[in-house]
Parts: sequence; C-alpha cells; structure tokens
Amino acid sequence: MKVALVGNQNSGKTTLFNYLTGMNAKIGNWPGVTIEKKSGTIRGTKHEIVDLPGIYSLSPYSIEEEISRSFIFDEKPDVIINIVDSTAIERSLYLTTQLMELDTKVIVALNMSDILENRGISIDEKKLEKQLGVKVFKISALKETGISELVTEIDKKSNSEHIKIFDENLENGIAKIKNDLNDKHSRFIAVKLLEKDNRFSKLNNSKTEEIINEISKFYDTDLEEVIATERYAFIEKVKKEAVKEKNMPESITDKLDKVFLNKWLALPIFVVVMFLVYYLSVGVVGSATVDWVADSMDAFGEWVGGALENIGTSEWLTSLVVDGIIAGVGAVLGFVPQLIILFLCISLLETTGYMSRIAMLLDKLFRKLGLSGKSLIPFIVGSGCSVPGIMGTRIIENSDEREMTSMLVPFIPCSAKLPIIALFAGYFFEEHSGLVSASLYFFAILVIIFAAFVLSRVKFKNTSNSYISELPLYKMPSVKYVAKDVWEKVIAFIKRAGSIILICSIVIWFLLSFSFSMEYGVDIEESMLASIGKTVSWVFYPVLGQNNWGATVSAIQGLVAKEQVVSSMAVIAGLAEDVEEGSEIFAQGTPFAGFTAAAAYAFMVFNLFSAPCFGAIGALRRELGSTKKMLKVVCLQTFFAWVLATIVYQIGSLFENGVLNIANTLIILVIIAVVAFIIIRGIKNKKKGCTTCPYCNNCK
Amino acid sequence: MLLNELKIGQKARILKLNIQDKETRRHLLDMGLTVGTEVEIYKKAPMGDPVDIRLRDYELCISKANLSQIEVEVIKK
Repeated sequence: MKVALVGNQNSGKTTLFNYLTGMNAKIGNWPGVTIEKKSGTIRGTKHEIVDLPGIYSLSPYSIEEEISRSFIFDEKPDVIINIVDSTAIERSLYLTTQLMELDTKVIVALNMSDILENRGISIDEKKLEKQLGVKVFKISALKETGISELVTEIDKKSNSEHIKIFDENLENGIAKIKNDLNDKHSRFIAVKLLEKDNRFSKLNNSKTEEIINEISKFYDTDLEEVIATERYAFIEKVKKEAVKEKNMPESITDKLDKVFLNKWLALPIFVVVMFLVYYLSVGVVGSATVDWVADSMDAFGEWVGGALENIGTSEWLTSLVVDGIIAGVGAVLGFVPQLIILFLCISLLETTGYMSRIAMLLDKLFRKLGLSGKSLIPFIVGSGCSVPGIMGTRIIENSDEREMTSMLVPFIPCSAKLPIIALFAGYFFEEHSGLVSASLYFFAILVIIFAAFVLSRVKFKNTSNSYISELPLYKMPSVKYVAKDVWEKVIAFIKRAGSIILICSIVIWFLLSFSFSMEYGVDIEESMLASIGKTVSWVFYPVLGQNNWGATVSAIQGLVAKEQVVSSMAVIAGLAEDVEEGSEIFAQGTPFAGFTAAAAYAFMVFNLFSAPCFGAIGALRRELGSTKKMLKVVCLQTFFAWVLATIVYQIGSLFENGVLNIANTLIILVIIAVVAFIIIRGIKNKKKGCTTCPYCNNCK
Repeated sequence: MLLNELKIGQKARILKLNIQDKETRRHLLDMGLTVGTEVEIYKKAPMGDPVDIRLRDYELCISKANLSQIEVEVIKK
C-alpha cells in the first residue's frame, strides 16, 4: 500500500514520518520545513509512506505545496493519512473537508493530543468520526502514543460514501456536474469546476457553464468564496458537536512573545542571538580546541611518518601520506568541534519557533529591499549549508523574491566556510577571533542588504507586499532529534573530509611535488601547481597586495568544497616547510608568509562571497530553472566578491601603512562611483514609476 | 472600517474582502478569513508590520497591506 501523509504546515507530519520509518528527516518549528516529498517504509509492515510538504488547502500557493497536490493526483496513493493539528482544529479540518471529496481512503490523525488538556480543549473523536464520515484517531507524534491503532487502520476497508457538507443549491449543482464526469475524484473535480479553478478548466463545457451560472444567481459573491465560507460553516457545526473549549490564562508563547517581539527589545535580542552563534562556535570553542587539535594532528603525522620510515617505505610515499593526506584531511577535521556548536545553535533556532519571529521581526525591513521576511529562513538554514538554504526558498510565494533570495543565500557564511574564517581569524586576529568571525557574519548581512537593494531596483521589480503565514507556538526542542541532527551533519562533514578532501589532497600533493618535467622533490616554487597558479595569480593582486599563487589555487579549489581552501593551504605550506599545524600555515618560508591582516580579511571576504561550491551551484540551477541563469548568477557573485575584497584590502592596508596610495585610491573611487551610479539610477526609476523608464515594459 | 485600523486587543467581524489578486484572496479564504469570522488583533511586529491576528484558534501573521483589504465591523466588549 502507498500511504501519503497530508496536513497543514507545521502540524507534525515529519515527526510522525520519522517515528513510523525510523528515519531522522529534517523537522523544525516554522511553516514550510518540508519542501520535498520523502518516502520510507513503515516499520514492521510493507507499506510505503510518503511525507509531503504541508498544505492548508488543495489550491497551492507555492512550489512546495504544488508538490503535495500533484502527488495526490498523479501518484495516486491508496490511503491518505490526514494529520490534523488538534490545537487548531478549525483551520486544520478545512483541508480535511477537501480530502473527504476525493475517491481515496482518508484517515484523520488528531496530532498533538498530548497538549490538548493544557490548552483547555477536549475532543470527542467518536462524534467527530460520525460527522466527517472518516476514521479518526487521537495521536501524539512527539510522545509516540496512539500510533499503532492508526497503522492497523491502513489495511481496513473504508466506506466510500461522501458526506454532503454544502447547502442544497451547491449540492444539487455538484450532483449534476458529477453525473457528466467519468474521472476519479468526480465530486472533488465538480467542486473545483464550480470554483473555476484554472487547473481543471479543460473539463469545463457549455453544460457545466450553464449549471454554474444558474447556481451563481443564488449568491451575491462568486462561488469560490461561497464554497470556502460553507466549508467553514460546516466545520463550525462539527466543532460545536465534538469539541469543548475552556478559557485559559495567558500561554507561555504569549509571555515569550512579549519579550521576543517587544518593540524595543526584539532587534537587540536578535543581534545578540546571531552574534552568540558565531562567537560561541569560533571564539570560545575555537580557541579552546584549535591548538589542541593542531598539536594532536602534528603528533599523529610525525608518528605515522616515523612508522612508515621504520618499515622502509620510500620517501615520496611517506610524504604523500604525511604531507598530503594527513595534512590536508587533518587541517579540515580540526574544525569539527566548532562545527558541532554551530550545528547545535542552528538546530535550536530551527526547532524552538524563534525562526518565525525573526521572519516577522524583519519583514518590514526586508520588504524595503524587495525581499520578504520569509527570506530570512533560507538565510539561517544557509548558515549551516547553502544547499538546503537555497531549496528552502520554495516557501516564498512571489517568484522575484524567491529568485533573489536563492541568489543571496550563498553569501551567508556556511559551515564549510567556517574553517576558512576560523583559520584566518585565529591567526591574524588572535584574541579577537570570535569578534572578527561575528563581524564577517554581519558584513555578510550588510552585503546581502546592499545586493538586494540594488537587485530589487535594477532587475527584480515585481515584488509583492503580501505576507500570510501562520505563527507557530514555541516548543521545547526534542533532545533526541537535535542530537541526531547534529550528529548526522558532523558525520557528513567528516565523510566529506575522508572522500572529496582526501582525493583533492592527493592531487594537490602530486601537483606540488612534481615539476612539469616529472621530476620529484622539486622546490614547490618549481612545481606544476605553482606554475599553473602563477599564470593567474595576478587576478588576486588587488586583493592580496602581492602575486600569491598558493592563495590563488586554494581559492579556486573552494569550488569543490569551501573547506578545501584550508586543506589546500595546509598541504602547500606543509610541503614548503615542515609544517602541519594550522597556525604555522603562515610561517616563514611558505607562500602565505606575506599575508597581512588586511589581506587575510580580504581573502576571507573573497571566499565568502565568490561562487559557492558545486553542490550549491547545482541547487541554484534547480531553483532558478536554467543553466544560463545559474551561470550568470555565479559569475556575478564572483565578480562582486572580487570587487568587495579589493575594496576591503585597499582600505585595510591604508590603515596598516598609514600612507595614502594614490593609484589605489583612484581605483576605489572609480568602483564606488560605478556602484553609486547603478543605485541612483535604480532609485530614480523607482521614484518616477515606470512612465519614462526605458528598462522594461512592465507598465504597458 | 478596515482591519489595519484596529489596535491590539480589539476584536472585529469580517464584512467583506476587497482583494484584487485572486491568489491572495484564495489564500486568505483558505486560512479561514471568511465573511462573518471573528478576528482579534493579537500581536504586532516591533516595526508595526506584519500584524499577528487570532482567528479560529490559531495565530496568523499577515501584512498591513493585506489587512487594509479587509472590511470589518468592530465588536464592542
């Protein structure tokens, strides 16, 4: 049997799915966590179960909701389990009334029944069953109660009678239209035809048109509104029969919102929370662990090196293992402690419900930039990894806002960029490393604000001012889920170090140890990698203040995975000198010795904002819908990153040297002038409206 | 009166939806904003927009622009 989990957003479908299948699919406390269908097998049975993105109705508004609807119609599940948030039963049953019209068996699961009592609600499921004509079970996906009864019901036969919920006029019309339809789900389609839903207009004909016109005469508004109103009227009647509510004192959510949504406190709290995420992971944990990890890696490398020499391996093989693999992979693994804290913080933000408050808090600000408050959710998810962040943009209904958000998500420092930040911040800014890391995060926010401001005025002008989203209650995160979530992400990072990073390290070692004439053991300045790097290193001259082939080739490798930048630098430095420790990457004799603090910050900025890794580029291609668009975006990002990094270095070195470099100042002024011109042109067009603007034909 | 003109704590009954955009109108109907429904202005974002309203036992966060398209009558306490 194929079973589909259908229900409102944030009603606990994925929590139930995880319990039924034993998987650990991503859950969270904001509307729209699940953006793709996921399938698994119910433990102890042969039933295939599919978890679908949440919907409020079978008329979808966003891409991820369309996935759910088309699954129900195209892949024809045998059974639909309709998860109902029993604390918001009125709104939840609206979808139920639509599912009931399908010719598919529906089972209603009243979820969150464990907190009903706290909220002063009591539900009589037998009465509900009678009113709705479908089986109803009280469950708690979180407390794992009532679920076995629900699973047993899947196999049982159901009655196929449809309950009539509308008034006489509508029901007569539905019956007439239904008679002419041979399709499955005929009652559902008949209702859709009355609503004039475009997706079913093919089935429309003159006879149905006539019926619809006839019925419309009875009402003073269109049938779409009449049907929605009648559905809710039916639900109100059902609720009166089966549900009892007591008045309750102020809930914890309301008390918390008095603080988190407070007029004066909300913004400072948000800033502190985001600052803490980075400060804790890079500053506190980073400085506590980085030396220890580096020392252990160093000792491990020496031990392996010694052991290999003892058993008589050749010098080149020892070098490959110690200077190539251990140095390259070890450089990345050293950052696991920081990542654990980062992943933990993100997981907590996602599961408590604070995320929806941030979206609400910043909506007005984001709207001025042509984005929606909902854009914030992909940004925060993106601080773990850009790929789910980019995919998470599907919750945004407006296509311009959605495309713009997906372009901007890679600008947020993701967890793989954290090693780059931690390495440079730890060495060049020592005791201020936490502060510098947090500063990069806020720098990223400023850049996003700036980029969005320009893009929304030059390219994406068709943004909306609509915001409709459920505000979820705060929840205590499940320790079990958060632990599993962090664990899985850390394991994924370690696996990447053991696969992609390992292979890259071998390749880099090879290119560094041999010259083009295949001579082993040459000075790295004579190696293949150096020769390749030197041909393009001029590109980074304005960013680093020098031609640095090592930094150049490392930055390019960021395309594979951002942490590869660190790994590559470790291998290069290690072969230049006998260096394995992170802090010695910049030691005398390595290609990186010439880095100044300004160059370090500029290099971080470039790596932060340039083209993301291949994984994220692939996600961009999927969400933007074309390779051409994706290439445009990636090139633009890289150019933008270069300009920013140049500005940062030039201004930084001004402070470092205390002397004004005329040529530099000129270049910066030209760049600023060009950028200012673009912005001013954008604002002027906006003010003028569209009448005299030559750039688009939107007004015609 | 329009729904965006109400203060926190005020309750109102929906009289009419004046929404041109079909998708948005449908979305609001689906979320339970039908004629006759009682709503309460519950919370506001720190910058005043969007507004959190309470209806049908749940909280809906909705922009002022959307609220200004909804005609209501205030329910006296």
